[in-house]
Amino acid sequence: MAEDPDKMKVEQSDMSITEDRDVKMSQAPIMALSAYELAQKIREQKVTSEEAVSAVLKNIDEHECDVHAYLSFWKEEALAQARKCDEMVRESTDVSTLPPLLGVPVAIKDNLLLRGKRSTCGSKMLKDYIPPFSATCVEKLVAAGAIVIGKTNMDEFGMGASTEHSYFGATRHPEDPDRVPGGSSGGSAAAVAYGGASAALGTDTGGSIRQPAAFCGLVGLRPTYGSVSRHGLVAFASSMDTAGPITRGSVDAAMLFNIVNGADPKDQTSISAPKVDISAMENYDVKGKLIGIPKQLLREDTSYDRSGVSSRTMNRAREFFVKNGAKVEEIDMPILDFAVAIYYILSSAEASSNLSRYDGIRYGYRSGQASDISELYTKTRSEGFGKEVKRRILLGNYVLSSEHFDDCYRQAERARNMVKKAFDEAFSKYDFLLCPTAPGVAPKQGEIDKDPLAAYIADLCTVPASLLGTPAISVPFGRAEGLPVGIQLMGPRFGEQEILGAARFVEKALASDIDGDISFETQTMNQKGGTDS
Amino acid sequence: MDHSAQKEPERIARQKELERIARLSGLSLSEEEKEILFSDLARIVPYMERIAELDTSSESGDTQQEESGFLREDEAVESGIASEIVTHAPQVKDGMFTVPKIV
Repeated sequence: MAEDPDKMKVEQSDMSITEDRDVKMSQAPIMALSAYELAQKIREQKVTSEEAVSAVLKNIDEHECDVHAYLSFWKEEALAQARKCDEMVRESTDVSTLPPLLGVPVAIKDNLLLRGKRSTCGSKMLKDYIPPFSATCVEKLVAAGAIVIGKTNMDEFGMGASTEHSYFGATRHPEDPDRVPGGSSGGSAAAVAYGGASAALGTDTGGSIRQPAAFCGLVGLRPTYGSVSRHGLVAFASSMDTAGPITRGSVDAAMLFNIVNGADPKDQTSISAPKVDISAMENYDVKGKLIGIPKQLLREDTSYDRSGVSSRTMNRAREFFVKNGAKVEEIDMPILDFAVAIYYILSSAEASSNLSRYDGIRYGYRSGQASDISELYTKTRSEGFGKEVKRRILLGNYVLSSEHFDDCYRQAERARNMVKKAFDEAFSKYDFLLCPTAPGVAPKQGEIDKDPLAAYIADLCTVPASLLGTPAISVPFGRAEGLPVGIQLMGPRFGEQEILGAARFVEKALASDIDGDISFETQTMNQKGGTDS
Repeated sequence: MDHSAQKEPERIARQKELERIARLSGLSLSEEEKEILFSDLARIVPYMERIAELDTSSESGDTQQEESGFLREDEAVESGIASEIVTHAPQVKDGMFTVPKIV
């Protein structure tokens, strides 16, 4: 992409970026707290929201120049909101009636609209777009007392798995700037990982919450399709787009899910899912559970995992669950050999249709070089979209063209039903399904772009839940090659309670794992993995 | 499938088809973009077309609808942001979108 003179870097209100390049978790006492704990401490007046927001802003000041997780943030406004929250706490006669996230600083992905704040989707097409309304899930978060600190970087329109395909420049992995944080919600994941927010919202079409969460050592929950309204989520593939939390732990994920979940008159596909009982999560035990591992998701021939990190992680995971009293079985699901093809046909078809709205007439970028209306459309789109978006539009319109519609698009729809049937059968037998979240650890910058087909195939483990509309969670499972790895737990529709309970069980076991049985190959932060080459 | 293994007439036919798809997509691609995107798609499309091998004769062509979704009355409500929305257009005159001359 050619450099554009008006290319925007971080939009700051009044921040100063320091030259400190040492990535460390500063402001540890406050930022070591989960969002759930922080909310409690703010209510109990043990910590003020102003202190929490200041801690987050200090971390942004220290790390943003290296990581570039944010596309925009607003310091004074956030601090003013924090002071208001603290006042509410001081004046409250019954703090239990206060909103659940009061005073907690959060980040939101740039494709979730926030009224009055630039929302670019990582695209030149929307580089100056300031929405006149907020996404329903963002409104709910704000109504729950959260303070939105800023908007996070992403692959353009959510198309990518590395946050390198942003018009505004790549986000880097907070522990190793030579690596990617994953994507497309890489900005949200990186911000939470370096302490630039207590929690974040991302969006997940084919794995964009779960994969960056895995690469950054965080929990990422893709909720049941429809349980979080898509109103105000800029459309990529409407039958799969889902907003959800990226957090430091499963309790935070459950709390954020409970807040943003619910039917919305502005989204006809929305539906209220049962709320997650957080105290029941604490008592969850995997003993006696029956867990299935789809063997087609255990492929070892991916170009991003030459040293077999995923297979070693899965062996450890299997041992872990068996040791804790669960029964683990492999399941044969041959249809999954086609999952990536089905996903890319359908998501690209939906994307090419959704992105036809960017024509330079009503909002967004308009080319200044056009002499007639047809040239205006073409030049606006050709100048406004990046390479990966153009690739998806071409693929989408190819499978929708009359010559290929039946063999590609309709065939993929029928095949999607076959995937659903295979999983319905599996979910009728197993409590939940287990697989890697992504192959290997976070790849080096530039590696994914070398081979787009290999990058698509690397989505194998995350796309099934996207096709199904079922919930899936990535939970950290130790480290390999010096970097975090995650495992993915998949449940049936509305199965959030089960997979969040299991995730909490794993989390507690890892935290108490002083012998390092689970956290194999543990290395301290900032040590670089070095086997990929 | 390896791009280099494709026969020349097939490669040219696909190139022509992709150029037509690009036009239909409202995209005018530079020669450099064509080279990159078309060679990527020469590998990506055959991978996707593998799904033709699947026997899907037992499936209907419709995606199954889950029980989510509801219908409501289509009611006109005053959003209060109509004039604000118009200001987001790249060019506006008298509260209307300005476009190049059409006829």
